[in-house]
This record gives sequence, C-alpha cells and structure tokens, in this order.
Amino acid sequence: MTDKGSKKILKIIIPYVLIPAVILAGVFVFSEKAYAWISLAVAILSVGLFYTTFERKKEKARKIVVIAVMTTLSVVGRFVFAAIPGFKPITAIVVITAVWLGGESGFLVGSLSALISNFYFGQGPWTPFQMLAWGLIGLFAGYLSAPLKKSRLLLSLYGIFAGVAFSLIMDVWTVLWYQGGFSIRLYAAALLTALPYTVSYAVSNVIFLLLLGEPFGRKLERVKIKYGV
Amino acid sequence: MSEILTLPLRSLKSLKRFEDYNPIAVFVFFAGAILPAMFCLDIILLLISFAGGMSLLFSLKGKAAAKSLFLYLIVPIAGFILNPLFYHNGKTVLFLINDTPITFESAFYGMSAGLMITAVLVWFRAFSLIMTSDRLLYIFGAASPKLALILSMTLRYIPLYTRQIKKIRMASKAMGLYREDTLIDRLRGSVRVFSAMVTWGLENGVITADSMSARGYGIGRRSRYAIFGWLAFDGLLIAASAILCAGVLVGAGFYAFGFEYYPEISAVPISAASCLCYAAYGILVFIPVFINIKEGLTWRSLQSET
Repeated sequence: MTDKGSKKILKIIIPYVLIPAVILAGVFVFSEKAYAWISLAVAILSVGLFYTTFERKKEKARKIVVIAVMTTLSVVGRFVFAAIPGFKPITAIVVITAVWLGGESGFLVGSLSALISNFYFGQGPWTPFQMLAWGLIGLFAGYLSAPLKKSRLLLSLYGIFAGVAFSLIMDVWTVLWYQGGFSIRLYAAALLTALPYTVSYAVSNVIFLLLLGEPFGRKLERVKIKYGV
Repeated sequence: MSEILTLPLRSLKSLKRFEDYNPIAVFVFFAGAILPAMFCLDIILLLISFAGGMSLLFSLKGKAAAKSLFLYLIVPIAGFILNPLFYHNGKTVLFLINDTPITFESAFYGMSAGLMITAVLVWFRAFSLIMTSDRLLYIFGAASPKLALILSMTLRYIPLYTRQIKKIRMASKAMGLYREDTLIDRLRGSVRVFSAMVTWGLENGVITADSMSARGYGIGRRSRYAIFGWLAFDGLLIAASAILCAGVLVGAGFYAFGFEYYPEISAVPISAASCLCYAAYGILVFIPVFINIKEGLTWRSLQSET
C-alpha cells in the first residue's frame, strides 16, 4: 500500500473506528469511572485530532516560528510578572495571538503553553485538560477576531469569560474523576474553593488584555505587514 | 579472544537503567501502569500501584523520596475525614453531627479516592522526573515532526528569552524607567520590559524563519533527528506493559475484582481471576525497579570480573 493510501485510511479509521472503540471499551472496562475516562479520552483525542490536521498542512517557516515565539512569551511571561502575585499572562497572550493571527495559531499557542509550562510545574492528569482549555480559549478568540479587535469592552469580557471557562472546564474533570459520576454539589464545592483563583485569573486577564492588547496587536500587525507572516 | 570480548559487550548492551530505555517504550509503560490506577477504584489494586510508584521514586531519588511519602499519605487521610462530611450515603452510621449522619462507607470511599489520587500523583511525579524534555520531544517527533519542531524551538527560546529579559530589565533600570515603589509601578515596569521582549522576539524569530526557508525548510518531507535507539529490550518492555495492562483491564471489565461502596461496602470475592489480575498488575508496576536492580547486579559482577 502506498503512503498516501494508508494515510487516507487512517483519516477514516481514527474518527470513525478508533475514537468510538476507545470510548466504548473504556465504558465497558471502567464501569464506575466511565465518565472520567470518556472526558479524558475526548480531551486527548480532540487535541490530537487538531494536531494531525495541523501536521498535514503546508506551513510557512515564518508561521511556525511566530507560534514558537508566542508560546515562549506566554511561558516566560510568568517570570516577568513574578513580582506581582497571581499574574500570569498566558491567557492574554493566547487571546492576542488568536485575534491577530487566527484561531488555529491560538489553539496551538494555548495548548503548547500548557504542555511546556508543565515541564516546569509538573505533568499530571490535568495536562490534557489544560491543553484543551487554553487551546479552546484561543480557538474561540480566533472566531471572534473581528469584534474583539474593535472593542476593548468585548476584549475585557472575553478575558473574564476565559478565566471562568478555564475553571469550569478543569473542575468538571476533578469532580468526574473523584466521584465517578457528575455531582452538582461537589462541582459547586470545587468551584467555590477555586473561586479566589478564578477571580484573580479573570481580573488579571482583563488587566493584561487592556494593557497588552493594543501594543501587542500593533506589533503583530507590523510583523504581518513587514514580513508577511 | 573473541569469547572474552563478546561476553561483556553483550551484557553491556542489556546494561540499561529503566530511564535509559527508549522513551516510547517508557511512555507505554507509564500509560499501562497509570490507567488501571486512574480508573479502577479498588483498594488492593491502588495499594499495589502506590507501592510500585513509590519504589520507582525511591530508585530515582533515593532517600529524598522518603520525605514525600508522608506528604502523599495526607491525601487519603484527608479523604477519609472530609468525604463523610459532604456525603451521607451508606448504611453504617458512625455518629451524627447536627442530625446529619457520618457513615463509614463515605469515609472509606474518601480514603479510596484519596489513595487513587495519591497513586496517580506518585506515578506522574516519576513520569516528570524521567521524561525530560528531550525524551518528550522524541515522542512528539514520532507523532508529529512539525509540532516537535515548534516544541524544540520553544524549549531553546525559554533560556534565551530569560537572559534577554534580564538585559532589558537592567537597561531600563539604568535609564531610570524602572521603579518598584507601588504595585502599579511594578506592573507598568514589567509591561514595558515584556513589550520590548515581544518586539525583540518577533524580529529575531522572523530572521530565524528566513534562515530556515533559505536552507530549504518546507521542501520535501520533514524528517527528524532521533537520538534514542531501539533494542530488543525496548520491544520487550512495550509488549510486557501492553499485555499486563490489557489483562488487568479485561479483568476489571468482567468484574474479576472491584469494590461496591454504596449502600454497603462489598468487594468482589477473591478468586483465581482476581489474584491473577492483582499479580499481573503487581508485576507491571515493579518492572522498573526490577530492571534497575538487575542492572546494578550486572554492573557489580562486571566490576569483579576485571
């Protein structure tokens, strides 16, 4: 079989055979933890599916490098703002990248930032969910690019939404894994204990987006015009 | 003559610590060891898992792992105490607090779930220690060379940018632009540094990209540089991990072992099948330590030969 032919078959096998098989097998095997298994499998496979479509595309070297640069900045940003407790610019950088360079770049910068910062802070079962959460925050910011570029108010609102959505996504997993099934009470308790963090994420996201949005956007725009990324 | 030469060489080939196995094989092992611990809430299985994970941590870090042992044990204890305060399911009421029953089942569930979290955390700690960035890069490269390229660039940029940030900070300090009196001041100073960093990073990146294109990036298929080789032992590790893990999972699917927590704790009665599952998982999680001990013995015997 040719290389191309086998790739085409893979394209059909992965979404239509492999993914349902993985999930059904998990439901059968892990009866009481089936929901946790499904959510983990879906997180990993959806990030993986996104990566395979990216892998297949022909990409200019400049785009690749800019994605690497933005990912680095979002990881290194932690150290720059270490003087101010609780301020991490990852979400802001992901959103800015997505708004100016498109949702796909946003997804990549978000998910890879999660993966790489965990090199320093420790990998865990949370890694795929962080990758998915930040990736999706970037992807949606890319879809909303036009209004987010125009209005600072919408950009701030998106910052709040991103902070809250991140907590919501991460805590779903916590509950499913711990309890087996979904329990709204435990979810509420988890959200409540995470509330200080959620609020500080949301506030710092807004501050970062307002402070960095304009100047970073101009810089990215300039690079786009000057070099044609 | 050839007898003498080949003998130590052949043993040298198998002389690898667990960490030095091909990263893909090590990754498969970790997946096989972590999956049952993550999704089978069976206290015996979890104890085996915890013991296996801790033994690997001990072989990696030595005595330093002993300190963390107590830290890890806090989670199941906390689960034991806290879970019954929130959950009141279960038949065996221990006592009442403000008319809400505190049940043994709920406490036991909290302990099991805590042990599950602890076991998984221990395994991921070992995973993080072994899977250094070059190893993860190798795995990613096998799946997606393009992503591996972005990852390796980022990993190289991080120390570069950290140095550059220091330079920019010093320069702005020398220019009198940087004060740290109030929080607002600190924030504005950091934003200024970060902003300069972005410009520098993007310009620098574009030059790198141009250099890449000039050397022919994007022409032809993207290949990768693989630093880790394959030996028969790596294949063996993959096969053993896959078969043992699959065995445990099939056992879980057919209820060969497992626990019911509510309304009453009832374990699946111990049978030949359940013993087989526990044994399979026990062998699986102790593979790394077994490899490292074997390596230590071979090394000592080689030393005494010469």
